[in-house]
Amino acid sequence: MTDARHISQEDLALHAMQALSPEESAAVRSHLAQCAQCRDDLASLTGDLALVALSADQQPLPIGARDRFMAKISPAASPALAAQTPKSQAPQVISIVAKRPSPAALWIPWLAAAALLVLSVSLGLEIHELKAALQAQTEASARQAAASARAQQVLDVLSAPAAQHVLLTAAKTPPQPTGRAIYLASRGSLIFQGNNLAQLSQDKIYELWVIPADGTAPIPAGLFRPDTTGNASVLLPPLPTGVPAKAFGVTIEKAGGSTTPTAPILLAGAAPTSGE
Amino acid sequence: MNAAAPNADGLLIGRVRAKDHRAMAEIFDQYATMVYAVALRVLKDPAQAEDVMQEIFLQVWNNPDRFAQGRGSLGAWLAVVARNRSIDFLRQRRPTESCDEVVLPAATNLASEVERNSMMAKVRGVLKNLPQEQQKSLELAFFEGLTHSEIAARTGDPLGTVKTRIRSALASLRKGIEA
Repeated sequence: MTDARHISQEDLALHAMQALSPEESAAVRSHLAQCAQCRDDLASLTGDLALVALSADQQPLPIGARDRFMAKISPAASPALAAQTPKSQAPQVISIVAKRPSPAALWIPWLAAAALLVLSVSLGLEIHELKAALQAQTEASARQAAASARAQQVLDVLSAPAAQHVLLTAAKTPPQPTGRAIYLASRGSLIFQGNNLAQLSQDKIYELWVIPADGTAPIPAGLFRPDTTGNASVLLPPLPTGVPAKAFGVTIEKAGGSTTPTAPILLAGAAPTSGE
Repeated sequence: MNAAAPNADGLLIGRVRAKDHRAMAEIFDQYATMVYAVALRVLKDPAQAEDVMQEIFLQVWNNPDRFAQGRGSLGAWLAVVARNRSIDFLRQRRPTESCDEVVLPAATNLASEVERNSMMAKVRGVLKNLPQEQQKSLELAFFEGLTHSEIAARTGDPLGTVKTRIRSALASLRKGIEA
């Protein structure tokens, strides 16, 4: 471990990282106590280790960590302060009971009252801050509930059987089957509405497809049948997230659906560039 | 690396010695993120990492003389103590005396955030370019707290090779930073 006079750099580095066995560490300590050069070398190696520590990715502190620390060192939280009261003062307290209170002692209740006043003001401020935080959270929660109610309302309108679906086209154009897909690739969320769709026999069903932009196989995105007026919806079918779409299509498949689209493609639409 | 910041550290520590809460808050604001990052890297558990961080700063508050002026910068000292305390925690050991013995060269200074950020980028660059085996040995010893024989057992390398790799990694790091 040591050459004739000094500890090797390898062992000093391991010692600095507590990576030596207890016996080896004891030997290093004993040598360090007497060798200034090895102490200097150890200091340099420890400086290198401080740099290694810096390679750790920086992370934000947990919420409230600073407040928790400041609370720990506040005088109110420090039992050490209470312990700092000199024990020698204890007999003096007894003597106060035995004798008439000294003028200084008369101030003690007032000082205690003042301290309580300061404490209650401080607690009052804290309560005020907590109330403000609670109020902010309540408002945020109310905003979220309102947004959620609105989203639900949109979904209800889109999916309600009684809703009237009207497709506006150029006048005098005979009704054609159409579909409208709204797709958010990052969330794998898709909403589809079809209009003027022909009724199918019981052994057939419409199937919606997402055609990925990367050229991989079409992804099945839901089976549907139109209602008596030819309207149909597919809302949020299970889809993988993060798959940008090149196009969407609708085919007619056997009643159980298919894993690959069967020609011909009844409806097709190319996806414009995503707004994400 | 200048010598001004260690003096600033010394002034802050002096105020902490006089139980100045604002000085302690300044130290916390300056170094808590770094200490937490080191503890989290070792412990991989945010709650445990915060416990270690809180304990370290509480010790600075209760016993500021553990960091003695002339022992290098407070930031570097805290970084090494954070690592050592976290390893103690990881191994369920009582705090080792070596935390009190952490001595750094006076030139090591990580007081300013700008300086720390620039140093972090440099250090990561150097470490990334080390041979894979050196990186691994240093990582196992420093962030996982394995002894050299444990590293040798895990990697299947001879003990002497492990020692040399760690030493070489540190030497390359110093050289890369000084370059």
